[in-house]
This record gives sequence, C-alpha cells and structure tokens, in this order.
Amino acid sequence: MTKKTFRITDSHPDPKRDVDDEVAFHLEMRTREFIEQGMSAEEARRKAAASFGDVQSIRSDLRADRAHRNDELRRRDWWHGVQMDVQYAFRSLRKNPVFALASIATLALGIGATLAVFTVVNGVLVRPLPYKDPSSIAMVWIAETNKEGVTSNLPLTSGFFNDLQRDSRSFEHLAAFRAWSYLLGGGADDETISGARVSPALFDVLGVRPLLGQPFTREAAVPGGPRVVIISYPLWQRRFGGKASIVGQQVSLSRESFTVVGVMPPGFAFPRGAELPAPFGFGLRTDIWTPLVFDSTDLQNYGTMNLSAVGRRVAAVAPDAAQSEVSSIMRRFLAQVAPQMKLDYRLVPLSDQASGKVRRSLLILLGSVLFLLVIACANVASLLVARATSRQRELAVRAALGAGRGRIARQLVTENLVLASAGAVLGVAISYWATKVMLSLVPGSMPRADDIGLDWRVLSFAAAVTLVAGVIFGVAAAYTVRWTRLSAELHSGGTRTTGGHGRRLGRQLLVTAEVALSLMLLIGAALLTRSFVRLQQVQPGFDPSNLLTVGVSMPIAGRFDPVRDGPKWSASFNQATARINQASGVVAAGAISSLPLSGILEGGGLRITGRAPDPPGQGPHAQYNVVSGNYFRAARVPVIAGRAFDLSDDAPDAASIMVNREFVRKYFPAGTEAVGQTVTPTFTFTSGRLHTIVGVVENVKQVSLDDDPTPQVYVPQSQLSYPGLTFVVRTAGDPLTAVPLLKRELRAVDPTFSTHDVRTMQDVLDHSLERQRFSMTLIGVFATTALVLAIVGLYGVIALIVGQRKREIGVRLALGARPADVVRMVLTEGSRLSLAGVALGVIGALALTRVLGSMLYDVSTTDTVTFVSAALIVLIVSTAAGFGPARRASRVDPTVTLRSD
Amino acid sequence: MAGSDLYTGTLELLILKAVSWGPRHGYAIGRWIRETTSEVLVVQEGALYPALHRLERKGLLSEEWRQSETGRQAKYYELTPTGRTHLRAERKRWEQYSGAVAQALATV
Repeated sequence: MTKKTFRITDSHPDPKRDVDDEVAFHLEMRTREFIEQGMSAEEARRKAAASFGDVQSIRSDLRADRAHRNDELRRRDWWHGVQMDVQYAFRSLRKNPVFALASIATLALGIGATLAVFTVVNGVLVRPLPYKDPSSIAMVWIAETNKEGVTSNLPLTSGFFNDLQRDSRSFEHLAAFRAWSYLLGGGADDETISGARVSPALFDVLGVRPLLGQPFTREAAVPGGPRVVIISYPLWQRRFGGKASIVGQQVSLSRESFTVVGVMPPGFAFPRGAELPAPFGFGLRTDIWTPLVFDSTDLQNYGTMNLSAVGRRVAAVAPDAAQSEVSSIMRRFLAQVAPQMKLDYRLVPLSDQASGKVRRSLLILLGSVLFLLVIACANVASLLVARATSRQRELAVRAALGAGRGRIARQLVTENLVLASAGAVLGVAISYWATKVMLSLVPGSMPRADDIGLDWRVLSFAAAVTLVAGVIFGVAAAYTVRWTRLSAELHSGGTRTTGGHGRRLGRQLLVTAEVALSLMLLIGAALLTRSFVRLQQVQPGFDPSNLLTVGVSMPIAGRFDPVRDGPKWSASFNQATARINQASGVVAAGAISSLPLSGILEGGGLRITGRAPDPPGQGPHAQYNVVSGNYFRAARVPVIAGRAFDLSDDAPDAASIMVNREFVRKYFPAGTEAVGQTVTPTFTFTSGRLHTIVGVVENVKQVSLDDDPTPQVYVPQSQLSYPGLTFVVRTAGDPLTAVPLLKRELRAVDPTFSTHDVRTMQDVLDHSLERQRFSMTLIGVFATTALVLAIVGLYGVIALIVGQRKREIGVRLALGARPADVVRMVLTEGSRLSLAGVALGVIGALALTRVLGSMLYDVSTTDTVTFVSAALIVLIVSTAAGFGPARRASRVDPTVTLRSD
Repeated sequence: MAGSDLYTGTLELLILKAVSWGPRHGYAIGRWIRETTSEVLVVQEGALYPALHRLERKGLLSEEWRQSETGRQAKYYELTPTGRTHLRAERKRWEQYSGAVAQALATV
C-alpha cells in the first residue's frame, strides 16, 4: 500500500503504444517461428497475420478497451491517494498536537469571527427581503428642502397619497400605512400590541398572502366598512394557541370588537421599526394590521404628514422613470397650489430603506473582521513555515521513496485543507454563538435581526474561506520546501535543519504585516472609543438618573378626532400626572409626547408676531412637544428664563408656550427677551391663536446625543390634546419600584389607560447609543484579538531567530559579551520588525480611517492622540514579546552550544 | 472468439494455467496453449489479447513491460494471488464438469 502512495512513474502508458507494441511483438515472434519452419520472410509475415485474425479491428478494440481501463485506474488511484492523504494528514497532525491545536484554534477564531459578522451582513444586507420580487418595491417619501438647502424625507399626507394613487401609472400597487398601537384583550390580560393601519393593497405590494384567511378587501377600507383585523403568526401562536378557528373570531382591540380575517405567515412583520425612520413610531415588529380608512376630508389633507407609503413598480417601468413620473406629479400639484415650496416625491428602494442606516457600519465591521482573519491566517502560515523546516527530513524520506514534487505538494495541500476544515467546523460553532452575542448588543436597532441565522450563503462563504485558506497554506508550505536540498537532507542527519534565509524573511514579512494590520484595527477601535466617550459626555439637557419612563395611551375609538376627544384626554392625563406627583416616593412627575432620545419627533411651523410673513414652508419651524404635569422638574430640564407651565396654563382661555434656547437663538435677534413675545403655531388644532412665550428651557437631545440642537417648543396638554404621552417620573429610589404605583394611579383615574415601554431613562439613553456601542465593542474585540495574535506571531519569529543564532550567541558570550548585551541584541532584532509594522500600520490607518468619518463624534479621523497612543501601545507590547526569547538567549551556556558541534 | 470452439471460460482457464509457473508474454502463452493442446483447441491468436486484458482488469493477472529472451521489450503477464486462487477453484470446477460429462457420455 505504501508503495502505491509514493508511486511516481505512470503505470498507465499511452494505450495506443501499449497495444501496438504488444501486438507487434506477437506478430514478430510468430513470423520468426514460421521462418524457422522454412518459410520466406514475406510468406511468414502473411501467415503470422492470418493466424492472428483481423489485426486492424482487434487492435482498435484493444486500444479502446485499454484507454477505458486506464481512466478507471487513474480515478481509482486518485481517490485512493486522497484517502491516503487525508489519513496521513490526520496522523501527522496528531503527531504534532501543539501545532495542530494552535493552528486550529487560531483559524477557528478568525473564521468564527468572520462568519459571525458575515452572518449579520448576509442577514441584513445580502439576503433578499422576504417579499415577492423585492427589487421592484419602493418606499415613497416627500422630500422637503429647507431654507438651509438640507433635504429631508417626510411622510406623506393622505392628500398627497391620494394624488399619487390617482395619477401615477408607474405602480402596479400602492399602499399607505401608519403605526397604530392597539390594546389587545378586554381584561386582566390586556396587552399593547404594535400594529399598523394599512391600505388593503399593502399585501399586494409586498406579494405576501395570509397563511390563513384572506387579505383585506377594498370594501374594508371605506368609511363605515367592517371592523376587520389580520394578525401575525407569532401573535396567533402566543395569544390564540395557533388554532385555525381564529379566522372569523371576534377580538377586542382598544375596547372595540374586530373580526379576525387572516393570519400572516411566520416571518412577516412589515413594517419593522428598525427599518424605518424612528420618528414614525413603528414597533420592533408589527403584529396587527387593520385597514387604513380615508374619508372625504382626509383626501383634502395636505397638512398632516403621518403616512408612510410603499409601492410595487410595474415590471416594465425602470426606477428612474418611476421617479421622474412622481416628480412631475408633484410639480403639477405645486404649480397649482404653492409654487414657492420645495417639495418632491422621493422613491427609496425598500432594500435600501431597510438597511440604509446600518449598511456602512456593517461593511466596516466586515472589513475589520477580514483583517482579523488575515492575521489569523498569517499566524497559521507562519506556524506552517516553521513546521516545514522541521519536516524537511520527513519530506526528504518521502521524496527518496519516489514521491514527486506534485505528489508531495498535493499531500501538503490536503493536510492544510484538513487543518482549515477543522478550523472552519469549530469556527461555524463559534460564529453561531458569536452572532447571538453580537445581536444582543443591538436589541431593536438592527433591521431584520429577528430571523438572522446560518443559511446556505453563510455556509458557502465558510466553505470558500476554508478552501482558499487551505489551498494557500498548502501551496505556501510546498513553496517553502527546499526541493533541491531534499536529497542532501538525508545526509545531513537532520540535526541542523534550520530555516533558510528566504524563509525567515517570509516569516518576518508575515509578522510585520500582522503588526501593521492589528495597529490599523486598534486605531479604528480607539477612534470609535474616543468618539463614544465624547458622546457619553454630551449633556442631553436632562438628568437621566432615577427617572422612570412609561408610555401611556388612551384607546381611540374610531377616527382620530382631537376636537371631540381632546378635553377627555387632557383631563385624564392631567389628573393622572397630578396624582402621581403627590404619591410617596415620587419626587416629581410629568408627561411628554416625544420622549427625549426616543427618536420620536413631530414638527410644525410658527409665525412670530411682528415679523413679515414668510413664504409657506420657509418660516420658523420647531419640534413641538405636548407636556403635562411637572415634566420639566421631573426630567430636570433647566428653565433658563421665565417659568415652567403651571395650573394657570390649564385655564380654558390660556394660550401659553415654552421654547428652548435654540429657538430663541435662531428666531430672535440677539439680546431679545423672548419671554412675553407671542407666536402663532400652525400645528395646533386651534390654529391662528396667539401663544405667549412664558418660559425658555435648555436644549434637549431629541433623537441622539450627536444631534445639533434644534428649535423646540412645548405646549401644555390642556391646550393641545394628545391621546398618548410618555410619563416621566423622578423617584427617590430605584425608578422601577414606582411602576406598580404608577399603574395603580392610572387605573384609579381611568381604567382604559394602557401602558407600554416601561424603561428607565438611563435605558433610553443607552439604547440611543446602541449602534455606536455595537461598532465600538466589536471593532475593539477584533483589535484586541488581532493584537494578541500578532504578538504571538512576533514571539514565534523572535524565538525562531534566537534558536537559529544560539551558536552565535554562545560564541559572543564565550568572548565576553554580557547577558544584558544579548538581551539588547535580541530585543533590537524584534523591535526592527515591530517598528516596520507600526510604520506601515500608521500609513495604512491614515489611508483607511476616513471610512469611519460619519461614525465619529467630535473626533478627527486622523486624531493625533489616538494614532500616537495606539502606535505606542503596539510598540511596547510587541517589544515585550521579545523579552522571553531574549532572556532565554542570554542564559545560553556557551560550553554546551559550542561543544554540541 | 469467432471460429473457435473454445468457450470463454476455457480460454481464460488455459491462460491462467499458462502463467502459473511464472510471468510470460502473450506470444508465449498462445504458443503454450497451441503446443499443450496439440493444436486440438484452435485459438485464433488475436482472441488471446482481449482475454488477457480482461483478466488483467479483473485483477487476476498483473502486467509489466520487460526485456524478453530476444532482447526486445515485451509485456509479461503474471498470476496475482487472486488469480492463483481463482485458477485453483476454476480447475476444480472444470474437473468436476468434464468428469461428469465424460461419465455421462461413457454410459451411453
């Protein structure tokens, strides 16, 4: 068997020659026999051929048969060789367990981390959306360009949506939808469920049909139509036991009875909050759909921007054509109504909408983790080079036994493929776990996160990485074998098999590259960390400690009608905040419509009294908040002028408003006393009333800590009624202990109050930093791992150099060099490599960190402090790596090394 | 096997027997068959080679090019251990068979 493995001469020569020679030999021998019997040469030849039979046809049959046999044998040999190679690879890895474990662990780490990131990238960016032909689905927004030339995407109004639906020919289906939470259940098991009111066409746009039951009919979306609801698969399983009888059943939604007409398939949760801009208030996933109903007044509404819209393009219409068509619809509208306004429709492909916010940071993460993978591979390659040195003799034996270069190279490639596969299998296991950890860092801000997992793409990626790594290692290992010296090797006795100069240089280059790559990662991580620290130091404008936040809403029966229901909302909320204010353990309590840092905002225009009217859409604009109770005292938003709202603002004829510092800075000339000025908001339901500014408060971060301050105004709940506010309760102790008290008080005021999103303000703050923390943590972990790997690699190379120079060191010591000199010599050798690596790393980082630009807050991408400190850390750590080998070198006993020769 | 009254199994059996004393090339095998059967069993010589190649593929014979007695390269066939076992078994079967036929014919 052994002989077969090493067989190098081809045992399957050309079938034609084999057959021809054999037949020719026969005929010749036979002819000779006939000549001996006394025939003439000519006659003998004829006789020989005749007694053979049909020479031509026999020969060609034999040739064909032979060729077939050779192919078969070659295949069998090849498979046999592979089996042998694999067996041999396992044996040789077992023989050297330290090397095998170190390589497999390093590869598993690299591949595992890479796969984990790739799993997320695949799940979020690569995997097609779970809708029919997702590339023809686009979101529709209104793009508004403000005075500063900044364009932002705004939701549609029902009027705009209706125009599009009527005039546009580019869309096969067009659907509008808006977030709408429902209180599900009628008693103790009440639960607030994130839902959406949607056009019946939504299911056609997405091309998804209910698993059970039917989609909404057009009739369900007309005023006075049937109250019907479609629920999600998880909700059906959780609340209704997954029984098919659910279709047709009545359920109570916000105290009204609805008929369930359908259950969506598992995985359908459109719209998901993480995929749409935060201000639209969609939940993490949507579990309830009800028809969105427009009445005649809605169709004339061009003021309330509260609708998201999504459309499926007609197959024949290109994205650009659709965009120019909708733009022309908007131009026609503006020409008739408001020529000076800068509005447009903007189509955003659904896939971009879903992943747009995280695409960049995910790609940066993928890039970083590939650095880590390269470093891991470089380390393994470096180990392999070292191993090739010590295997020279073994390979020489095999060459002597007849193994050719190709055969040995194949063996080395197989061996490394086995190694890489072991690493990959372990890596897949690691990635499974690592993906979970990664996603747990960003609960709720990673689009499509709930169904991210291993799929065929991830596994093919793993297989590709394995194949590439294995083949490259194998080829590299084969390349480092000194073929010409294989025969000399046997004579040398093998005791002095040390790496040649070229090979040592190869390892040095690998290690230099590793140091450079890890420094680049470290600089990236340090920049993100620095930015994160800066961000955390930003004053949010309120005090997040000991603050409980609870979303509280009242059910809306039927149409949203603040004129009809407003007084009841105001009374209930004001009464609730007042009662909670007086509860024991509560320092102060209030409520606000748009909780700071929750990302929720609502904006509206204002006119400042005494100023020339601005053209529509170009005048002062502010985020507005509805507040109730002692909101400013509870959140500790400092009042810097005037006063906060008090009971006098609840009087029926009161018209007061508070503004923030930025509002004053932006809209009043410097030095103006803002308190006492009057403004006319256009966003209230009683537009046209003059409101007096009673106080000015500090700027509050509304969306994220890196926001620039924006003008904000506050209006009391009694003057602008809202059915849903977030309660903000400052407590003496742990804020969460106040939850039962708050719920009790709410029930006492109005049993129809429902609560959702119970969080401390600190959680809200942390959540707002989730993405930054995600990138920082992961790149930090990659950088640290990379640095450790690089240091291990460096240590290996220095140890090798010391090993090779033992004799020289012995001589030096014998000639009177002090151990300290030897230590210095070795350290210098090592620091040459780390210096080169650091220099390359700094250059690389200067070229690459600009990709981080948009992710950094108040830190330059070439921040000197970061660069210098990261470089110093790498330099110090990598120099330290040389200490072990250096000390060992200094303890070399000259008498032993010299005598051993 | 056209024109031969040898059935396949017999030819193969004779080939195996021919190489049972050591490696031989095709010509020598054919000659041995001719001579030992006193040319009673007429083998068209060309039919020998397909049979040889078949036996080689079955693993009963192994082949090797080496120098022949005349100094020319010739392909030698050698009995493999499997081949030898096969030969023994076939020979036994043949003896039973021919004995039975002989016995049957003798009684007529």
